[in-house]
Amino acid sequence: MNQHTVKAYGDELNQITAEIARMGGLAEAQVADAIDSVARRDVALARAVVERDLKLDALHRDVEKKAIRLIALRQPVASDLRRTLGAMKIATDLERTGDLAKNIAKRALILADSEPMQPLTRSIERMGRLVSTRLRDVLDAYTASELDRAVAVWQTDDEVDEHYNALFRELLTYMMGDPRTIGACTHLLFMAKNLERIGDHATNIAETVHYEITGEDIVGERPRAQPTAEDSDPTPNISTHTH
Amino acid sequence: MPYEISPSPVAPTFTSRLWTVGTSVAISLVVMIGLAFVHPELAVWLIGGAVLIAVSAWLLNMPSAPEPTEPVLEGGQVDLQPSLIGGDLLDRVFEALDDPVLIVSGGEPDDIAGRRIIMANHAARELMRIQRQGALLVQVIREPGVLEAVDEALFGGVSRTTDYTTGGQRDRRWRAWTRPLEQAPGADPLALVILRDETDARRTEMMRVDFLANASHELRTPLASLSGFIETLKGHARDDAVARDRFLDIMAAQADRMTRLVADLLSLSRIELNEHIPPSGRVDLDRAAADVVDAVSVLVKEKAISVVLDQGEARASINGDRDEIVQVVQNLLDNAVKYSSPGGVVEITVVSDLGFDEAGAARMAGATRLPLVSPDRASGVFYAAVTVRDHGPGMAREHLPRLTERFYRVEGQKSGERLGTGLGLAIVKHIVNRHQGGLLVESAPGMGAAFTAWFPMVVERRDVRTTPLAD
Repeated sequence: MNQHTVKAYGDELNQITAEIARMGGLAEAQVADAIDSVARRDVALARAVVERDLKLDALHRDVEKKAIRLIALRQPVASDLRRTLGAMKIATDLERTGDLAKNIAKRALILADSEPMQPLTRSIERMGRLVSTRLRDVLDAYTASELDRAVAVWQTDDEVDEHYNALFRELLTYMMGDPRTIGACTHLLFMAKNLERIGDHATNIAETVHYEITGEDIVGERPRAQPTAEDSDPTPNISTHTH
Repeated sequence: MPYEISPSPVAPTFTSRLWTVGTSVAISLVVMIGLAFVHPELAVWLIGGAVLIAVSAWLLNMPSAPEPTEPVLEGGQVDLQPSLIGGDLLDRVFEALDDPVLIVSGGEPDDIAGRRIIMANHAARELMRIQRQGALLVQVIREPGVLEAVDEALFGGVSRTTDYTTGGQRDRRWRAWTRPLEQAPGADPLALVILRDETDARRTEMMRVDFLANASHELRTPLASLSGFIETLKGHARDDAVARDRFLDIMAAQADRMTRLVADLLSLSRIELNEHIPPSGRVDLDRAAADVVDAVSVLVKEKAISVVLDQGEARASINGDRDEIVQVVQNLLDNAVKYSSPGGVVEITVVSDLGFDEAGAARMAGATRLPLVSPDRASGVFYAAVTVRDHGPGMAREHLPRLTERFYRVEGQKSGERLGTGLGLAIVKHIVNRHQGGLLVESAPGMGAAFTAWFPMVVERRDVRTTPLAD
């Protein structure tokens, strides 16, 4: 009887972990497909991304329900409790990631009506690929519970910011050069912002994974801007371009 | 692995499965042989069936048991040997298959944690880092399309092929075959998953598209200027000897530029095609650097730039293709010389035996540092790095991430009379990627720039020096 209880409990925990991995896979696919739909101007793919977001939401609710049930019925402690709470947090991050991907896909639908802007969508694609890599790495770290990989993702957050700032300037140059592109460029700008936020969610997941494995928060400064970067901190973009 | 020591996740152990299957098979064997005694006229069929059950049960259960220590010769049962060897052979064939192969069990249809990997061959274990039997399928393959296909194979008996990509800088494209495996009714359903790497085929296709777009765009500029001059020469400059000579010089320069561009494009496309094939040769990075320094000495003298080569005594032997490594150093040095003002200094440093973090560490104090290529972290690998440092104008932070883009140019910088093709760093990036090395740029306006390329070193087997083969 006792054996049975423990086994069912373990199964339930495993189930939550598995659900998170599945959610992660879906979120990854959503981000990758959203970026593809922008790069290839694929309207059908963009629609599919928008539709599939419902599934991600359903999975999120399901994970939450299961986690609450587990906490209520089994009162997990120590690493089991961290695992359960971590799953809830990661599920929220993944759900948000899915929403952002959906938003990108919706903008891709609008962009498909206007003229193609090859170099700009290329930049978006490049940034998207970087963000996908981070998402993949952090989910790999979660499923294999590898601390090093999670920390590595957490430490390289500034790469995405670099890309975002570069893209921001590129878009501004375009808009100043040809005001007719402002509409499309604004959509691309929001896409870049969404990608940047997906990157932030990946960082959050890395923090959760770290907490889940060690029970402690990640300490230490994230290597943000380098020492000499005071003259160009991350938010000066607007002021430098108002002349 | 904290999860391994935590008592809660209870994977169904393989031994218990073996036990239940073994018991039921044994009972059925006893019943059948007993019946054979009762009805001697059916004995041939019954014993035949018994042997069949025994062999299939053995085949299903044995392959993953690590020690096949069956006493083959015991009792001189010669007719049993072929099946034993057959089972072992199948096992070895399964292990040796180059494509990752998984066998997945079903569990409950609505429980994703029920899909477990009960068998995986060597390639699959390597690729997905499967650590134990009974690992959750979803932990190694998250791709929703494949998961769906596996479900369909398990519970719908449908075979499917699914294409998917694993994202990332060196993204790979996979094709997954999912097939249902026949099982006795009521038993846990099984499915076979075979993965095949289709990256190369896809890459070739993408290359063609990209190559055409880029090449035609970049070739248009010199071509337009050529045809403009030809028109002028045919028209009112026909009899003007001075203008004609000047125009012909410009045309020659433009034609030269086109030639270089085509050469670079071709070499880039060749490198990209090989990007996923690891290099097999062995190169000394320090020698390659010295060779390049010798080769550029003429050009350097013209511009009155001095190149200082600094290398340790230790041999920096790396796994690599010699021509490609030379091209990396050459392109980096070309850039450094191009952006140096006359009388300037370019420093090349070769350092070996660096750890992963040392190799990617900063070399220029006070500059912005950005990794352009970072390889997967590997343990036990040492790196040799070549750093090319110039004291030219340097670049602002926002340009750094885009340096390896094809045809990207830092605005407002004059690269002198000898225009680059805009492909040098793109080529460097692809070569470094192929060699599983890293590329790092450090720069700040007014401070010059330092590019560091680092490559995994040849693993010296110092501990097995007892055999003379080691040299």
